[in-house]
Amino acid sequence: MALWIQIISGSDEPIYSQIVEQIRQAIAKGELGIGEKLPAVRKLASELIINPNTVAKAYTILEQSGFVATKTGSGTFVTDPKLRHHDAVDINALSERFDSVIARGLSLGINAEELISLFNNRVNKFLKK
Amino acid sequence: MSEIVLETHGLTKYFKDKCVVDHLDLKIPKGCVCGFLGRNGAGKTTTIRMLMGLLKPTAGSCAMLGCDCEDLTPAIRQRIGYVTEGHRLYKWMKIGELEKFQSAFFPNQWDNKLFNDMIEYFDLSKKQKIKHLSNGQRAQVSLALTLAPNPELLIMDDPTLGLDVAIRREFLEGVIHLITRQGRTILFSSHILADVERVADRIVVIDKGVLKADCTLEKFRSTIKKFIITFDKNIPSDINVEGLLHCRSDGNLLEVTVVNTSENTVKNWANSAGAKDFRQPALNLEDQFIEFTSPVKKGKLFDWEYK
Repeated sequence: MALWIQIISGSDEPIYSQIVEQIRQAIAKGELGIGEKLPAVRKLASELIINPNTVAKAYTILEQSGFVATKTGSGTFVTDPKLRHHDAVDINALSERFDSVIARGLSLGINAEELISLFNNRVNKFLKK
Repeated sequence: MSEIVLETHGLTKYFKDKCVVDHLDLKIPKGCVCGFLGRNGAGKTTTIRMLMGLLKPTAGSCAMLGCDCEDLTPAIRQRIGYVTEGHRLYKWMKIGELEKFQSAFFPNQWDNKLFNDMIEYFDLSKKQKIKHLSNGQRAQVSLALTLAPNPELLIMDDPTLGLDVAIRREFLEGVIHLITRQGRTILFSSHILADVERVADRIVVIDKGVLKADCTLEKFRSTIKKFIITFDKNIPSDINVEGLLHCRSDGNLLEVTVVNTSENTVKNWANSAGAKDFRQPALNLEDQFIEFTSPVKKGKLFDWEYK
């Protein structure tokens, strides 16, 4: 059972992107190691009770950004990080996600320096996991 | 384009002088799961009843699996599953009797194992009488009876209406089970958009009998957007944004909802009109559907301001 993927019904984030995001995170945290196999599309679809095309779309996006590769007939596997790439759009989308945190922090009276140090602490903690 | 398994051409239905379905042109390709959406009274059930050959169109035509819906042959009907609104089943029969009765219409294609597995999974017993079942259990029996002949095309009219959340999820599980077999096509109407988003890959929206959208779910999700624009002073009097659905204003804030217009187009318009801030709130499918199908109302139903 792929219990580590949780779908939120009725979210403003499309289901395929919820899957992409969670698999990316699992790879970033090392929960999915290099060479590890992702669940088969149909299997994951019936476990999550979603349309198989949605899972397939998520896998395609992960494949396009180099996180996974599909070997015909045997499945989809996590790739070596050296082979992955990101483009300006990825970076931009990532940067925008900081905005809500920054706004929240400033509204609480936390200044820019403190925010940066909080961010650094968090990154270090994440990498240690 | 893949094979079309369900199509309507100018399908129209009048009840006396009231037009309920208005020149509907639909094409559903093989293998897709299509959510059929519309508000109450939009004409969904009428359309489905014409597809099943239970109502005669006033004008136009419809066909399933290449056969005109007014002359569906028994052989074609054997390939189509139909779940009616409210799951009406013969009340005096036991589940086992109903199974025997139904399976006789589908010789050589009735999947005994699937039927038994589903009845067991739903914690039902074949000895139970239909009239003693709850609404949710009747829906489960109805789904098992419809899926057992392994239909190529499944038509469901608001199948999860009135079911509790847990039973609805189990019902969806059954539907997903069917989808994961290759080449199965499903058309289902529903008001629960979170369910539609899980199961469908295509949606059809009708409003007052008129087709409003027929596209992939993804397209629909990316096509309806809302923006909140802040102006320095007054908002412009002429809001000529392409694809404008709704707009509302409050002081120097303007909310616009657009269909099929890119963020840049709206941004350029806003900038040229003197906007100083621009943001795009997130919408889920339900929000988008409401924006897409609700008429602009003047005033409010309730006035929440206490005086």
